[in-house]
Amino acid sequence: MLAPALALVLVFILVPIGIAGYLSLTDWDGFTPRPEFIGWENYRRIFDDEPLVQAAVVTLVIAVVGTLFANALGLGLALLVDGPGRFKAVARGALFYPYIIGAVIIGFLWSAILGSNGAVNSVLHALGGTGIPFLAEPTWAIISLVLVIIWANFGVTMVLYLAGLQTLPGELMEAALIDGANAWQTFWRVKFALLAPVVTINLVLTMISLLRTYELVLALTAGGPAGTTQTITYYILTISFANGKLGYGAAQAVLLMVVILVVTVALTAMRRRAERDVAA
Amino acid sequence: MKVLRTGILTIAGVIMLAPLYLLVVNSFKSQQDIMERPFSFLVDLSPSYLWDALTAPTYNVVRGYLVTAGFVIGVGLLCLIVTIPAAYVVARGLRRAHRVALMIMLAGLFIPSQVLVIPVVYVLRSINLMGTVPGFLLFETTLTIPVSVFLFTGFIQTIPVQLDEAARIDGASRLRILLQVIVPLMRPAIATVVVLNAVSVWADFVNPQIILGPASGIYTVTTGVYAAIGQFTTNFSAVYPNLLLAIAPVFVFFVFMQRHIISGLTSGALKG
Repeated sequence: MLAPALALVLVFILVPIGIAGYLSLTDWDGFTPRPEFIGWENYRRIFDDEPLVQAAVVTLVIAVVGTLFANALGLGLALLVDGPGRFKAVARGALFYPYIIGAVIIGFLWSAILGSNGAVNSVLHALGGTGIPFLAEPTWAIISLVLVIIWANFGVTMVLYLAGLQTLPGELMEAALIDGANAWQTFWRVKFALLAPVVTINLVLTMISLLRTYELVLALTAGGPAGTTQTITYYILTISFANGKLGYGAAQAVLLMVVILVVTVALTAMRRRAERDVAA
Repeated sequence: MKVLRTGILTIAGVIMLAPLYLLVVNSFKSQQDIMERPFSFLVDLSPSYLWDALTAPTYNVVRGYLVTAGFVIGVGLLCLIVTIPAAYVVARGLRRAHRVALMIMLAGLFIPSQVLVIPVVYVLRSINLMGTVPGFLLFETTLTIPVSVFLFTGFIQTIPVQLDEAARIDGASRLRILLQVIVPLMRPAIATVVVLNAVSVWADFVNPQIILGPASGIYTVTTGVYAAIGQFTTNFSAVYPNLLLAIAPVFVFFVFMQRHIISGLTSGALKG
């Protein structure tokens, strides 16, 4: 009963990773019949490739800032929309719906809103202002990208925090209140502490998914202006692979996988301490 | 306290829903009206822009829905057929080999599918499935395996083994135990996996774009939207209607099924 799943994983995940690993040690351009073996050369090149290093920085900013804000907002709003009531149900839907729309469409929609001739700038122009280069100026473009990413992602974390809140035993909150704790203390000392495992899951999931950010960049900024909002996956797909640098692109992909693995392990290990404190 | 809560939620709601309002209202306006008064609905509203998008020659919206729906259902079913038995064996298995099998299936959690798809192209080519629907479905199903197996394994481990044993004593085969005893109890986890897979397949862009490609003429909603407006992002009287058409069915579905979608997402997610 295991065979079909294992076969699929073997053929479509493990073998391709092997291929990527092999290609990353060659100078293959996608056409020449025999890729030439060049050892670690591709990996050495990565750190001297300025646009790529910049893409790595952008990715890191997105992952770190995005993860923190998406989780802080997700948890905060989960506390506000937890519980019965029609207003809360509508609010849950309104905060969560970007998740089901998908990144490509979110990117196009926000580019129509924030672009030079977009909805916001049209209003600013009509009011006699000069407009804001949300997507046209490098610093603004990064800020806009990160904000849209947070806008699109905190809803999912909120839903997972809601699920976590519902598993908390109500007696503990009551006991804390009886012992004279105020709302602030019950939140931090009881609810937040008990949610530690959910916080870990959410941080890891958000971080992994933001380290892969691609579609939103493609649709919102197309990496611009002048390549300043390219992420690593964007760079790999639209610069390296599209220009026939398959060996080099494979090296970048392998490195990204290693980074994701390391970040996941490190985050989980860091959070284990917080979780142990709950158990104690 | 309650006023503060209502205030914060109202502001957050406005920020979340404003893009949706712009999307709907501007889908009925001319380019000039969109540029001059994007937030207003007190202008000439006409369904003709939606009609133009619906009948555009670049890609057939209705066909895009059908193709996407087919993929969502196909991948969803394949995933359940493949992962439930695998998760059952692993969850009940005691041998080291089972733990290794689980690790192998979870390996994909760390793999960004957007870059994995490039070497997958070579695999698909070598087995003559590149650019075909079966090739796409197999790869897309594989991408659902890590999370699904992870959730199912954790969930099955919370089901007492004594149930399996009682059924075995009654003479049930392993497959029958799985189908008639375990699967009915897995409903919350199955709901979670179904919702997760449906959203990830529907919203996927890179894999249909690269594996099926514009050459195949098979467009999903996301690749179709990209083909329709990718180069014309400032032609707003085409952008807004196309985006509205792309999300309208999903959004209506979400509004009616919201409770089930959100509870489906969470009910099986935090066990085990």
